[in-house]
Amino acid sequence: MMDHEQYRAAVLADPHSTDAELRAHRESCTVCREFTERLLKFESRLERALRVDMLPKAAVLPFERKPRNAVRAPRRWMAIAASVLLGVAVAGGIWLTLPQQSLAADVVAHMAGEPQAWQGTEAVPDSELDNVLKDSKLRLKPDAGVVSYASSCSFRGHRVPHLVVQTPSGPVTVMVLVHESVRKPMQFDDEGYRGTIVPVPGHGSIAVLMRDLKVSGGEIERIAARVDDSIVWTR
Amino acid sequence: MKDEAGGNQRRARFQALCQSLRPDLLRFAFWLSRDRALAEDVVQESMLRAWKAQDTLLDESAAKPWLLTIIRREYARTFERKRFPTVSVDELIAQEEPMLAAVEEPDLADVRAAIMKLPDDYREPLVLQVLMGYSTAEIARELDLSGPAVLTRLHRARRQLRVACGEDTTLDPQE
Repeated sequence: MMDHEQYRAAVLADPHSTDAELRAHRESCTVCREFTERLLKFESRLERALRVDMLPKAAVLPFERKPRNAVRAPRRWMAIAASVLLGVAVAGGIWLTLPQQSLAADVVAHMAGEPQAWQGTEAVPDSELDNVLKDSKLRLKPDAGVVSYASSCSFRGHRVPHLVVQTPSGPVTVMVLVHESVRKPMQFDDEGYRGTIVPVPGHGSIAVLMRDLKVSGGEIERIAARVDDSIVWTR
Repeated sequence: MKDEAGGNQRRARFQALCQSLRPDLLRFAFWLSRDRALAEDVVQESMLRAWKAQDTLLDESAAKPWLLTIIRREYARTFERKRFPTVSVDELIAQEEPMLAAVEEPDLADVRAAIMKLPDDYREPLVLQVLMGYSTAEIARELDLSGPAVLTRLHRARRQLRVACGEDTTLDPQE
């Protein structure tokens, strides 16, 4: 039987552990449960702290050798060249994101067409969830959160999983778009939804939306990253 | 002609893959080196190495751990090639202040400073676990450690961070 010290040492090493013995101890001990809740709050802060903003300062292709430490001692001509490059990249980016914006509009339109998806908070049965996910060759890790809605929906000519996951930030709608590739994460606000579509290398993309416009773009990005992490691809 | 088209396609595909993973790779390199400029150099060199070695990547879904391993090796090589001046952690924190400051979430700045002060042996497994989603076994494999050693480092890392950030640690287990 696990004692308090062993339990706390184990959750300090892995606060999201799904180990059955840890869960059993937590359920039977109020003090350790409160300890875990405090730890998970700190863990959320830690996760956000690690996710520093690392947007590239300029569009640098992976195959173009950049002089070492060029960022450390930028010269004037390099700065001018970088700003021109950046301008081109931004202009190109706007043009290239047009199809992605229409993808976002389609995602929002689909969500708006299924308002009942947001209503429940209870977990759907595992068998129902498995049925929805199996065609997309994926499953969710046990710590993904409560999935309160799961439907296999027709979207742009394909069947895609449409889920609502209950998270500490509120319910989040997730669409797994294995047939839709995007070049980079794209955030959008539309029709009262705030969301993002993020690329998943080798598996298309994931759309994540909330109905709360007070949620920051950074928080949406973090939720999308957590959703991405909770998916196990089975092909 | 056909070969050229295939090469371009392969290049475009690989480039798209690298670009999509780039923010996370930069974050990893940053927390490894605690120096943004060095992190950018390491990631750039790593991508060149990855491009040359792309045939060894058999499964595209494993690209992220594959690239992270290349980055770790490249970071180690950087120190073999060049001796960097010793800089105190406080100087590093001051140097990277714009990145560590979190305008939208001011409660993160002290956590970031505390992470900067963690010893490398604690910081690296923590970043792999929290940011990259590695399991204990995966961290052990990557860092060539035993599972219990990884758990001890993670436990100590969190304990040090919580103390540094003024969290209540009275119930933490004694070592």
